[in-house]
Amino acid sequence: MRLLDAELVETREILPAQWLQRYRAPWLAAGARAGQFVHVRTPDYSGLVLRRPISINTIDRAAGEITLHFRIAGKGTELLASARPGDSVPMLGPLGRPFEVDPRTHHVLLIAGGVGIAGVRSLADESLEAGRQVTLLFGSASAAEVYPSSLLPDEVEYVVATEDGSLGQPGRVTELVPAYEAWADQAFACGPRPMLAALAHIASGRLERMGVARLGRKRGGGRPIPLGSAQARRRSWLQVSMEQHMGCAVGACLGCVVWGVEGPLRVCREGPVFAAEEIAWEEPA
Amino acid sequence: MKRRRSVVTTGRTARDAYSGPPRLGLRAPRTRPSPALEAARTESPAAPVAAARAAAPGEPGVDPSSVDLSVDLAPRRPGALVLQNPVLVASGTFGYGIEYGEVVDVERLGAICCKGTTLKPRAGNEPPRVTETPGGMLNSIGLQNPGVDAVIERYAPLWATWRVPVIVNVAGESIDDYVSVVRRLEGVPGITGIELNISCPNVGKGGLQFAVDRDAAASVTAAVRRATELPLIVKLSPNVTDIRPIARAIEDAGADAISAINTLSGMAIERRTGKPLLGNVYGGLSGPAVRPVGLRIVYEVAQVVDIPIVAIGGIASLDDALDYLAAGAVAVQVGTAIFADPEVPLRIADGLRRYCAERGLASHLPLVGTALPARPNRPSAKGVEYRP
Ligand SMILES: Cc1cc2nc3c(=O)[nH]c(=O)nc-3n(C[C@H](O)[C@H](O)[C@H](O)COP(=O)(O)OP(=O)(O)OC[C@H]3O[C@@H](n4cnc5c(N)ncnc54)[C@H](O)[C@@H]3O)c2cc1C
Ligand SMILES: Cc1cc2nc3c(=O)[nH]c(=O)nc-3n(C[C@H](O)[C@H](O)[C@H](O)COP(=O)(O)O)c2cc1C
Ligand code: FES
Repeated sequence: MRLLDAELVETREILPAQWLQRYRAPWLAAGARAGQFVHVRTPDYSGLVLRRPISINTIDRAAGEITLHFRIAGKGTELLASARPGDSVPMLGPLGRPFEVDPRTHHVLLIAGGVGIAGVRSLADESLEAGRQVTLLFGSASAAEVYPSSLLPDEVEYVVATEDGSLGQPGRVTELVPAYEAWADQAFACGPRPMLAALAHIASGRLERMGVARLGRKRGGGRPIPLGSAQARRRSWLQVSMEQHMGCAVGACLGCVVWGVEGPLRVCREGPVFAAEEIAWEEPA
Repeated sequence: MKRRRSVVTTGRTARDAYSGPPRLGLRAPRTRPSPALEAARTESPAAPVAAARAAAPGEPGVDPSSVDLSVDLAPRRPGALVLQNPVLVASGTFGYGIEYGEVVDVERLGAICCKGTTLKPRAGNEPPRVTETPGGMLNSIGLQNPGVDAVIERYAPLWATWRVPVIVNVAGESIDDYVSVVRRLEGVPGITGIELNISCPNVGKGGLQFAVDRDAAASVTAAVRRATELPLIVKLSPNVTDIRPIARAIEDAGADAISAINTLSGMAIERRTGKPLLGNVYGGLSGPAVRPVGLRIVYEVAQVVDIPIVAIGGIASLDDALDYLAAGAVAVQVGTAIFADPEVPLRIADGLRRYCAERGLASHLPLVGTALPARPNRPSAKGVEYRP
């Protein structure tokens, strides 16, 4: 974690009100892992007092660059979108815990709802690099918001669902999951909370159906795996990247809490990536 | 050569944690009031002080390293709470001092006020717990903390190795709660002082906050005073009609110092749903938006008590800290501004040192109270050592 100034190299609107920005930030690029985020100061603080958390969308270690992909959701992201090449943007990062892929995993299933793609995007690169197969299930309201396939590596199998049926399979992205459940050794998701809750429901049913040992239970005489550990996430079939309003983003203010099964969890510190089993989910609608 | 535009004033150069970009031209650089104006509004006892404060940079100064920024927050307990500089970090915004360790040299802070600590562990309020508001933020953390025993076990051994003093912020729902917490903290290596957060509902009085009730504020202060020899700072709430009788009662009950202000009660609506945004409905407002309120309260308290005052509320730059010193504070705490720029507290301390040096001041204490109206025997900010 470090305070640094990232220099904006390239910025473009890849989808309506969604921006992809490439930054020169060698230190971030060298150390960041898929699933981590940066806390960004927007270009005008006359009135804005908080930084904005944004996932590290892709990491190019060789070039010393990272990208951010964000949707304009309010004043902060609007100001960030107004930054121009050459501008330097203060960032704090890399923050939070990354995705943990089990070394035995060959088939990686990524599940993204809308701009949630930014939360799992770099795991596609990381997984391909490690020789794994990657399928990305992507869902959005309509064709207009579908993530351009040109921004994905060719090796990724890309499956789209739109709620209005204007592209790909009509319906929600969660409805695509059962067809890949058996194929996937592990799944990694980012998107709106109801989507993640539905996926967690699928995942818990899957554990029961397949008779897989639960986290924390003794496996073959081994020690229980403590919930919240990197190992627990590595063993978990479903890992989710969650959002919450943030103050400090370093674990100091306790502002970004979500309820876990064992009590409050800080999204910025224990997360943003959690094993689905760690979270106290609401019943899916 | 391509000129590299800087759209954001970086943490290392901006004076204000929230300075905007030069290209938008929204903010003129802030300057201190003119010497003439300052001299005019300051009456006799403080006049030499005002002159010192107003001396322009460039005049014969002193070496910044020779400026002594130390401040005694418990003059009645010699040596018990002397800070190396008057810039502290506010409770709840800096965790237990370890979270920002990778980006801030915590050892250079004046002191650290840790997160509010209660007798039993508390899980805190329903999320969401924070949101931004114009010029500020609301929080409703709900005093999430692991309880005093865990704080002592997990953090005190580390604090004991630090040069920077740690002041434990204590909260409770009854006088017994406060007393029990403080008793446990007494004598623990690594714990230098107590800051009493009395902005908590008093279960014994139907949930009325200790801080808004003069008698309750005095009783809890007196009870804690009897229970500990540790330096005791009592933190005031701004959510009261008249702070002065409360401050006076707290001083009479034996507090070593007063800190002010805690957050202002507020709320926010989630526009999409038309429902309260925060899980707890109500939250505490902090940040630059509350600074004028904090200034007013420090100014009022400074006129009725003799003990040192630690100012809190929207401090984001040296200018803000200077304003609070003028209003009567001997030290300041930085809270919300840390979230935007964790380097702000140290930058204010360094800036204050330079500011004093440029004006030939050996200490920042002559800057204290310049805004206060003249009155006979105006109380000293540093016990008997300083008389204007
Ligand atoms: C770990 C993490 C990673 C994220 N990654 C991305 C990303 O890659 N791309 C992207 O488009 N968005 C991402 N978000 C969401 C993004 O932080 C918000 O959209 C953004 O903060 C909104 O700011 P604003 O000023 O535009 O909106 P406003 O609504 O004006 O913001 C007001 C306040 O609410 C907070 N806030 C509002 N919505 C959210 C939210 N969904 N999550 C957290 N805080 C919020 C803001 O930070 C700000 O403090 C991420 C959030 C988290 C927690
Ligand atoms: C997220 C957050 C948590 C806080 N927690 C506490 C606390 O536990 N105890 C306390 O006395 N004050 C707490 N405060 C209040 C601050 O210490 C401070 O009094 C207030 O925020 C005003 O200062 P500022 O404008 O510089 O933030 C908290 C403030 C924030 C923003
Ligand atoms: S944002 Fe402060 S603890 Fe997570």
